[in-house]
Amino acid sequence: MALGSAIMVVISRNPVHSVLWLIVTFFAISGHYILMNAQFIGIVNLIVYAGAIMVLFLFVIMLMNLNAETEPQKNKWLKLAGVVAGGCLLLVLVAALKQAEVKGKVALLGTGDIGLIKNLGKALFTDYVVPFEISSVLFLSAMVGAVVIGKK
Amino acid sequence: MNAIVISAVLGVVMMFCGVFTNSKTAVRNVAIIGLLGLIIANVLDLGGYHFFDVNVKGMLAFDVFGLLFNTIAFASTWIYFLLSGRDMERVGVNLAEYFALIFFVLCGISIVSAFNSLLMLFLGIEIISIPLYILTGSDKRNLKSNEAALKYFLMGSFSTGIMLMGITLIYGVKGSFDMEVIRTGTTQLTPMIAAGLLLLLFAMSFKVSAVPFHFWTPDAYDGAPTVFTSFMATIVKVAGFIAFIRLFEGCFGEIKAQWQMLAAIITAATLLIGNITAVFQQSVKRMLSYSSIAQAGFMLFALVAMNDMAKEGMIFYAAAYSLATIGIFAILLKMKDYTFEGFNGLAKRQPVLAATNTIFLLSLAGIPATAGFWAKFYMLSAAVNNGNVLWLVIVGVLCAAISVYYYFRVIQAMYFKDGEPQEIETSKGFNGLLIAIAAVVILLGIFPHWLLDQLSNIFFL
Repeated sequence: MALGSAIMVVISRNPVHSVLWLIVTFFAISGHYILMNAQFIGIVNLIVYAGAIMVLFLFVIMLMNLNAETEPQKNKWLKLAGVVAGGCLLLVLVAALKQAEVKGKVALLGTGDIGLIKNLGKALFTDYVVPFEISSVLFLSAMVGAVVIGKK
Repeated sequence: MNAIVISAVLGVVMMFCGVFTNSKTAVRNVAIIGLLGLIIANVLDLGGYHFFDVNVKGMLAFDVFGLLFNTIAFASTWIYFLLSGRDMERVGVNLAEYFALIFFVLCGISIVSAFNSLLMLFLGIEIISIPLYILTGSDKRNLKSNEAALKYFLMGSFSTGIMLMGITLIYGVKGSFDMEVIRTGTTQLTPMIAAGLLLLLFAMSFKVSAVPFHFWTPDAYDGAPTVFTSFMATIVKVAGFIAFIRLFEGCFGEIKAQWQMLAAIITAATLLIGNITAVFQQSVKRMLSYSSIAQAGFMLFALVAMNDMAKEGMIFYAAAYSLATIGIFAILLKMKDYTFEGFNGLAKRQPVLAATNTIFLLSLAGIPATAGFWAKFYMLSAAVNNGNVLWLVIVGVLCAAISVYYYFRVIQAMYFKDGEPQEIETSKGFNGLLIAIAAVVILLGIFPHWLLDQLSNIFFL
């Protein structure tokens, strides 16, 4: 279902349909997370991506008022080159993932409470506290940037 | 750790500076003094004085190589502030914020020179990139600057996505972000490691603008305000190389034989395309951005050779290249016309500018008795020592010869042609500083062993 709706995102002619299919994709991915015992990430994915970011997407697309006439014509050779390059990447990734599946046992199925927010918080503030703190610099610089760009 | 914490704090200080004072001189002086403090703190770190005792859980490892590189990057930035700080005022009103963003970039640089975990690599690269997108687009009324920023942002975030995918695949194989864990036991290429390695190679090549991932470079460098192009093309680019080398030595050092050929091909392509395209440029600024691609090709030699000599050479190259390019951009900023014609007859009106510019250009071209010659020499001899890539060395020498042509076009325009005055008046201090940098470039060119001996002393103690 995730794959199917992801393909629909790409091939839909109408951008609004694309966004709607993207929402379906996010729901499917959240389902995967929950199946893999990562409940917290699953829910956050729903709230942040399927909820907030998609609304922004829709607004932007509606404001831009896209339709078929304004769509730029693409070069035939460019399309062909894209297909070849994408196909190569697909081939490499499929080869890589085929080997991984042999190992089976993806995560702690059944036993795990690993995805619960309590354990996540513990890991975040003990083992991963340095990257956590440093990412604050990243967000700070992004905020400064937004203000610099947005201010008159 | 000193550098990371202090540079982040200085970024915040700069923002407050912008709130409390309107005087541009005050803001600039605070930045210059703050950066000087940062350099001192970093050198103290090198000498064993650690101000902050943080348990980094093996995520960061501060070795001499990284700290030394930090020192060079900070010192180049300091010179850059002194030379071009005034020109930043012409870009826009948010002077303090520009300085703050540059300090955040420096924080990112000190992370990528010390990361020991792929997670930190990602954070460091992002902390470097995001302020750069903003600096590229800081000239808001200029359409070209906007276009450059958007292009850079879209392509940059795409390449970050590729890098994340690579990290994920590696994590999938090894179950850890730690470079030690990834290196041990990686003796042959399984498909999954190969895919991860390739994606990481592509993403990092994008960040250092190696061919065929260089398409953003001329547009972004040309569109960005020239002051910030100077910073992007020198310090940030060299930092990308440090991350690149650290990553590939740390994670995939054992399987070097498998990817060395690929890296060599990228290097050769970068050298050829960068140099040959630079020949056809009409604008000096655009020529310099292609020349920065070409110089990236030479720095990639360090990645291909990957021995001690290459690492020492990389530090030397970082210093030589950054100094010369910052100098050239500072002079370019004084020009009104960025084409080659704009430089016509500069030698008659501004002998100091013309003479120092000549020295910097000669250094970039790698003419003997300048720092650039020895930098190229060490890179090439590191590759020769490596033994497997002699053909690449020949390509490198040929490309160095091509590069002489387009650097000499500027020199020719300055000395042998007459033209209308096109430049902004320069102060005495600016001229003095240019002479000092040129002197350093020549001193490093005549006594390269001084810096390299210091380096080897530290390395082999």
